[in-house]
Amino acid sequence: MNLNICHLYPDLLDLYGDRGNILALSARSCWRGIETVVQRASLGDKLDFHNIDILFIGGGSNREQNLLVQDLMRRKTDLQAAIEDGLVMLTICEGYQLLGQYYQTAEGKKIPGLGILDLWTIAGPKRMIGNVVVETPLGTLVGFENHSGKTYLGSGLESLGKVLVGYGNNGQDKTEGVRCKNIFGTYLHGPLLPKNPDFADLLLQLALKRRGYIEQLGLLDDNIERLAHQAMLKKLIKN
Amino acid sequence: MRTWNFWLALWTGKIAAFTLKLLGKSGTTLPGFLAYRLDRDIIKHLIPSFSDGIIMITGTNGKTTTANLLANILKTAGKKFAFNQAGANLVTGIAGALLQSCNWKGKSGVRLALLEVDEATVPKFCTEANPDIAVVTNFFRDQLDRYGELDTTIRLVKDALPEKTLLILNADDPLVAYFGFERSRVQYYGVDRTPDSQTESREIREAKFCPNCGQTLEYEFFHYGQLGFYYCHNCSFKRPQPNVLVNRVSQEPDCLKFSIASDTYLTVLQGYYNLYNSLAAITVARQLNISQKDIEVGLREFIPQAGRMERFNLPEGDLILILVKNPAGFNQVIRTILAYSKNVRLLIAINDLAADGRDISWLWDVDFEYLGNNERMVYQVVCSGLRAEEIALRLKYAGINSEKLVIEHSLENAVGILLGNRKIDENVFVLPTYTNLFPMRKLLQSRAESVKISHSGNKVVSSEE
Repeated sequence: MNLNICHLYPDLLDLYGDRGNILALSARSCWRGIETVVQRASLGDKLDFHNIDILFIGGGSNREQNLLVQDLMRRKTDLQAAIEDGLVMLTICEGYQLLGQYYQTAEGKKIPGLGILDLWTIAGPKRMIGNVVVETPLGTLVGFENHSGKTYLGSGLESLGKVLVGYGNNGQDKTEGVRCKNIFGTYLHGPLLPKNPDFADLLLQLALKRRGYIEQLGLLDDNIERLAHQAMLKKLIKN
Repeated sequence: MRTWNFWLALWTGKIAAFTLKLLGKSGTTLPGFLAYRLDRDIIKHLIPSFSDGIIMITGTNGKTTTANLLANILKTAGKKFAFNQAGANLVTGIAGALLQSCNWKGKSGVRLALLEVDEATVPKFCTEANPDIAVVTNFFRDQLDRYGELDTTIRLVKDALPEKTLLILNADDPLVAYFGFERSRVQYYGVDRTPDSQTESREIREAKFCPNCGQTLEYEFFHYGQLGFYYCHNCSFKRPQPNVLVNRVSQEPDCLKFSIASDTYLTVLQGYYNLYNSLAAITVARQLNISQKDIEVGLREFIPQAGRMERFNLPEGDLILILVKNPAGFNQVIRTILAYSKNVRLLIAINDLAADGRDISWLWDVDFEYLGNNERMVYQVVCSGLRAEEIALRLKYAGINSEKLVIEHSLENAVGILLGNRKIDENVFVLPTYTNLFPMRKLLQSRAESVKISHSGNKVVSSEE
């Protein structure tokens, strides 16, 4: 049994310790005897989305968004087919924003996104920075956010969860992130997966299910992971 | 023009400094803070006294060490100067340092000022002080939540530097060297190949693209981080030829040895990052016409300060305290720790207060995997500070066996655990982030003093704020 993980644009989108997410996915697979291959791919590189089990796109500066959208546009048909087929995607900050319809800059210019999800982002006057706690059907997620873009979800889209502490998608409607099919988008970095092992396992489980493995994942000793998660809850949620 | 605000600010600052002195305390930040509150142009008003020159040192890493090295060289040469010691590098700290050298009439007894300036403070400082010499050490990703992105910081600093200022730049860092592109008043320092220079880099790189034209930057080899021999295929930007060039380097067990032309230098500092700090200090000293002999002595006799490879003699044996604050610096520290090829025991204390950086995701950009790959040399890591669990988690994913990780929030207990287990043949390092540094020093000093072990050859610089 093995999993192919693709880290897309690690050279351009790597601001927030995102390699921790890749580390978490591969380590948690490896500890269960599942081999992983991590492919780092960037502009112009050959990609076979049907062979990829988990596609990860992280956060960076908005400077390169144009380049990235151009590159992804050429791959859109293939990517969409893979998404329909159940490709697991985790996208964070800019990676999340570029799945949407557009990103509107502070000057009012609309940079088109990939248009895969009905969401859009508008540059806001202040950066939303700080620790975040989100309540999801799977339990709490903890992380750190740092973005000035405010993201809004179209009416047909479900968020990842409800913001308990922090700003989330836009600082207004208490939503955070998006989940659609097996696509996950979020503003949480920090990085996200090591401190939220259940969420990491959900991604692995979904990826394995797509390949026809339906058994439950074996339990791991998550003592330190849980301590790190709890420490953040304790710090941020005052009863 | 000096207004009544200025005189009020000056005297308030002087009174505050005098009161602190009476109370037996040191510190320049509080007097500086008060003076700055009363006169926002206090720096501009004090600057004219320093007629021999204003030297500014900025960049992400190495500001404090470079400034301290240069200060020691200047002292060796018998120079007197104003100096913002202990990294008080914001407006208030700078104002405090200038104030300290001035008398009640606002006249300074010294003519030279050596000032470490935080990157975000550079624009304000340059407008008011018009520095004669500006040293830029390097640019690495640091505490993102303080400034937004690195690009913004670099642009801010670059745009602020006055045309007539002599720039002293690290030739090996493309982000810094670009400051001198198409500019005449520039001196570069750089390093030839080191024993550890590599053609591939596994560390994060900031400068992936040519700062001039935006094309991918090519490297012949890397020293560390993005420092190395680079060139752009597309435009004429490339590593400039250094005016001060290190041609031989060796890392000895207890010092760093290197030569510039036919002169050899020694420093007790370790790690290649300190080679650059030494080099920056030497380049400035040469500009100031300090003799080669004074430079050599000043460098050799330099005693590391507050958490910059500071050694403590404890009854349980020696330990070394090193401040950690960003991936590039931490990577160098890890390399230095393992270079001794002895077993190591570590205490890492991570806080996430404003001065440390609220966002600690940078821990995941540190190459702890290098430590993980040498796991058998790591006996124990005591994880401490407000984010003790996070550093433990990071180390677990770097391949350190969970059984070697101890989580203990209290610094005092953490030190107890660290020393309680130590064996005589181990190297022990304590690695705190900024807000853990001073409490940790205090703890280690009192442990050293409580058994009346003398600090021979290890004078610890007295208290900072």
